[in-house]
Amino acid sequence: MSATLHINQSELAAPPVMATLGQRSLVIGLVFVVVCAFGAFTSPHTFYSAYLTAYMDWLGVTLGCMVILMLQHMTGGAWGLVIRRVMEAAVGTLPLMAVLFIPVVLGIPYLYAWAQPQALAKDVPLQQIAHSYLNAGGFVTRAVIYFALWGAIAFFLLRWSAEQDTSSQHSTLRFRVVSGPGILIYALTISFASVDWVMSLQARWVSTIYGMMFIAGQVLAGFCFVVVMETILSKRKPMSEYLHPKEIHDHGKLILAFVMVWAYFNFSQWLIIWNGNLPDEIPWYLRRLNGGWAAVGLALVIFHFVAPFVMLLGRQFKRRTRTMVWIAAMLLVMRYVDLWWNIEPVFSPTIRVTLWTIACPLAIGGIWLWLFARNLRQRPLLPLYAPHVRELLEPAHE
Amino acid sequence: MAQRIEEERSGRKQAPVIEPGHTFGSVTDQISSIVLNRPTSTGWFIGFGFFFMLTMMLLYALAYLFLKGTGIWGVNIPVGWGFAIVNFVWWIGIGHAGTLISAILLLLRQSWRNSINRFAEAMTLFAVASAGIFPLIHTGRPWLAYWLFPYPNTMRVWPQFRSPLVWDVFAVSTYFTISLLFWFIGLIPDLATLRDRSENPFAKIIYGILAMGWRGSARHWHRYETSYLLLAGLATPLVLSVHTVVSFDFAVSIVPGWHTTIFPPYFVAGAIYSGFAMVLMLAIPIRKIYNLEDFITERHLENSAKVMLATGLIVAYGYVMEAFLGWYGGSKYDAFLLWNRLHGPYAFFYIMLWVCNIIVPQVLWIRKLRTTPAALFLISGVVLVGMWLERFIIVVVSLQRDFLNSSFGMYYPTRWDWMTYIGTIGMFLAAMFLFVRILPMISIFEMRTLLPEAEVKE
Repeated sequence: MSATLHINQSELAAPPVMATLGQRSLVIGLVFVVVCAFGAFTSPHTFYSAYLTAYMDWLGVTLGCMVILMLQHMTGGAWGLVIRRVMEAAVGTLPLMAVLFIPVVLGIPYLYAWAQPQALAKDVPLQQIAHSYLNAGGFVTRAVIYFALWGAIAFFLLRWSAEQDTSSQHSTLRFRVVSGPGILIYALTISFASVDWVMSLQARWVSTIYGMMFIAGQVLAGFCFVVVMETILSKRKPMSEYLHPKEIHDHGKLILAFVMVWAYFNFSQWLIIWNGNLPDEIPWYLRRLNGGWAAVGLALVIFHFVAPFVMLLGRQFKRRTRTMVWIAAMLLVMRYVDLWWNIEPVFSPTIRVTLWTIACPLAIGGIWLWLFARNLRQRPLLPLYAPHVRELLEPAHE
Repeated sequence: MAQRIEEERSGRKQAPVIEPGHTFGSVTDQISSIVLNRPTSTGWFIGFGFFFMLTMMLLYALAYLFLKGTGIWGVNIPVGWGFAIVNFVWWIGIGHAGTLISAILLLLRQSWRNSINRFAEAMTLFAVASAGIFPLIHTGRPWLAYWLFPYPNTMRVWPQFRSPLVWDVFAVSTYFTISLLFWFIGLIPDLATLRDRSENPFAKIIYGILAMGWRGSARHWHRYETSYLLLAGLATPLVLSVHTVVSFDFAVSIVPGWHTTIFPPYFVAGAIYSGFAMVLMLAIPIRKIYNLEDFITERHLENSAKVMLATGLIVAYGYVMEAFLGWYGGSKYDAFLLWNRLHGPYAFFYIMLWVCNIIVPQVLWIRKLRTTPAALFLISGVVLVGMWLERFIIVVVSLQRDFLNSSFGMYYPTRWDWMTYIGTIGMFLAAMFLFVRILPMISIFEMRTLLPEAEVKE
């Protein structure tokens, strides 16, 4: 019977490897922050697009984890309980991501055609939208609103989760009260954010599915990050005690599902735009399928869809972190490549890899991982008083 | 006890999937007796008779159509896709809930589906059958409809594979085939139960033939489980693919209001939305009339309502994105479309679409309403109307005024349009009446697996 099970919260602390991970990430991060700061001043024209790409990538992991956390609160299930603290630690980096948005704001004149007077002068319809919607004031105001909403969701979920660690008396209803509308708020804000931050790079190009593609990509990034982390954690106590193949299997299935959803959205967008072949829309693909970018597109088809899809079909494959971690790591890289393929062709008609393409994700990622590891170490790895957690700690019946 | 603590802490009490006190025997008795022992009521005859008459009206409308041609409908240039396409999309969307319940919820191990999957699958079949009529008669010469299939012929007629209309032929026919197989295979163990319990020799023979020699041996069960799981795997992509192809019918064109990239996921969500509305509209009276409240509990109603709320919000997301990006994109045709929807001759229907599909269903956030059958029944009706209006707006308003002012026009459905549409509703419901009378509407053996007796002790 579970009531007889006595567990000390200190036994559930994150393993020391997280401290090592945090320190090393911080060192790498700081080194590349210096490199990036140098880039921002010396070559802003190539730097800011790379920064935006890297920023969207890590924001994807953060917000992806936030959605999965809310889904976990709404649906329950052991698959989410075992990774809840990993997701919460990732959501805890949101203040950092808000600060790291400042360089994007600084980069507005370099990034967006709607902020460049000479581009505006040539394009009358763009002037209209730049006047009423796409302007620096509106851009910043909306970003503040997005971060305020995300921050509010994260604040309540994390705070109540901390309260839950102290006693079993708290109702879990309030988690759902925030999570249900929270998912809705997230879906709408990230859609508008993706229009502001990425879609508006290609002036006047419109695709109504674009926001959904970001949602699918971010959730996928969240799951992949979680699988990488659980691979590191599950080799050591305490996670080695309670992470069973069944939960890893569930994570694998969810990754497979989101790989398919991502491919489905991308294929739909491509087919509809290709078949319509309209002068307003098709340039987006012409840019990305010429000048060497087609190879990147093909790599996305293969490594963001075909390869993970085929490999994840196998049952045994999905039940081991040893095999899953490779897929998850590859998909995390492909998430970055996908964003790169979305953003960089706007600035360079031919394929271009700069120093910043490499430095920016390492700079942001290093600091991000340091904060993540710090968050993770502050709390026990399992929410001990959450419903059904004790069942996890009983011996598996498989 | 553990469950009660759980409920107190989570602040709510959930209805069970099956009411307590049932045994293997009582479940079998109660479900099979509806078909075998219960006398056919007058109400059943009246209901069936009424809907059968509507079916006859459908046949009349079709006969006249074949005699005269599609000129009897309201379709003309510029609106060449009238009721036939609106109703086709509406019906095929309704079918999606059945497949979602039977296939996806099975793979997701949602055992609450066990009491609603059977009639939801039947609903899928009848809905797809009703849907299938429309594109067939819309061809104008339905006796030549087989030209849609790529078969070797001397006429050098070959379908245009770049057209999603041809993909539709494959998508819908595959969908019907898989749905039928899935439904029938799921029925086999129950048909054997009816065969064994039936006292009428004629019924015994019919059920016996349909049960295909089922003896319930371990090997039979093993093969059954394997094939059922495989079919579930095959049916799962169909939930997405069929309505995706339907959405491509519109989206690959360049008509404003049709050519928009969000259409595939938005159509799929809308399909599931209307499908669950239909499931609720059928389940609520059925559980009342046949006293099945023990099996179709408040939990089922609430879960279906939640699915409706979620998919309805995805549909709302689609409307918001379409309207916002229509304005943002700065294309004058898209802007005119939005204006025409809001202020044009069909504006009333567009406003009603928002009311029915988006505004009214928000009351489903209230838990009390999610568990009140009468309220759910009404809301589901509103959603079904709303989803029909959505297709009407998409089909008619986009075509009615597109690029050239000189080719603007109006669309007015004729009585033949209405007779065909109402006739298919009659056919659908008449088939449902027959189904609940002659086949077990709830899966007997799957319900038995939900009982505490069925739990394997280690």
